[in-house]
Amino acid sequence: MRRRRRRTRAQAEVELNLASMLDMAFQLLAFFILTFHPSPIEGQLSLHLPPASPITNVATEKVDTAQAADAGATTAKTLEISVFANPKGDVSRVQVGLRGAFTGPADAVNLRKLEKQLHEAFGFAGTPFEQIVVRVAPNLRYEELMKVIDVCTRQKMPDGQMLRKISFVEMSESGSGK
Amino acid sequence: MSDSSSELTHAQPNLTPLLDMVFQLITFFMLVVNFKEASLDQSLQLPVLGSARPVETKGDEDLLVLNIDSEGRLKVYGSTQDVRSYLAKEAKQEEVRMKAKNKAFKPGDELATTVVIRADKATPFKQLNDIIKACQKHNYRKFALKAMTRREGA
Repeated sequence: MRRRRRRTRAQAEVELNLASMLDMAFQLLAFFILTFHPSPIEGQLSLHLPPASPITNVATEKVDTAQAADAGATTAKTLEISVFANPKGDVSRVQVGLRGAFTGPADAVNLRKLEKQLHEAFGFAGTPFEQIVVRVAPNLRYEELMKVIDVCTRQKMPDGQMLRKISFVEMSESGSGK
Repeated sequence: MSDSSSELTHAQPNLTPLLDMVFQLITFFMLVVNFKEASLDQSLQLPVLGSARPVETKGDEDLLVLNIDSEGRLKVYGSTQDVRSYLAKEAKQEEVRMKAKNKAFKPGDELATTVVIRADKATPFKQLNDIIKACQKHNYRKFALKAMTRREGA
């Protein structure tokens, strides 16, 4: 048997030139740093907006919350909120059913009044409200509308779920929905 | 004066840890880069709403982002587009996707995509409502109205 001879090879040292790789890495880093622009955090209100057409007899379902409480309001499923605007596009008046919620700007005090009224309407066990129809003045600004929607989406239905079904109806200049 | 012959020493800094750190930084920036931001029109001034919650879709939900300026015009990647034709095209594509996923899907069924409305705070309701109605006509039902959680710079 032939003896295997061990060859001792001189280990060649491989030296990688890291400087060029580092140059490239720094260029990449500079690119990412320069293009990095963290955008401000955006929030959202999630809604389920059914089409306006199936919501029939909106006018007949105008509900006075006080009356609803008295009568049991067994047939009422849609609560109507009317949002009126001044010529500048700010909220001038809000009405829940037939009752006025507040007159004036949509500031914190007035929005609390609206919330209280909605809370009463949705808190009443015999009121099977499932959705809200918001009649909105055509010139109302999006910012002002969001304040009202925000209050609406904070309402809980009798089953404990948050209200998400909202429909919008555009009010004509005379104040009727279309 | 004596002539001193100084020995030349080769200073070789160890670049490996520096390279490691740079690669880690690159990895960080690559991970945080958000290509979806390109679809958002940053010139719009969104309303500020404290109770607005950030999106929690975990990336598994299709979103159709509509940037609407204060005049009610739809902006897609910076260019103004006609709302109706844009929505018709998007809805058609979505229907094809839904049919491929679900055989029981019929034309006219509710689309799964959430319409994200990024409207300028000064947009009048009339313009906004026209766009919402156009979306509803194409069977979009899920909407998300965007707002800032706090005022910029605050």
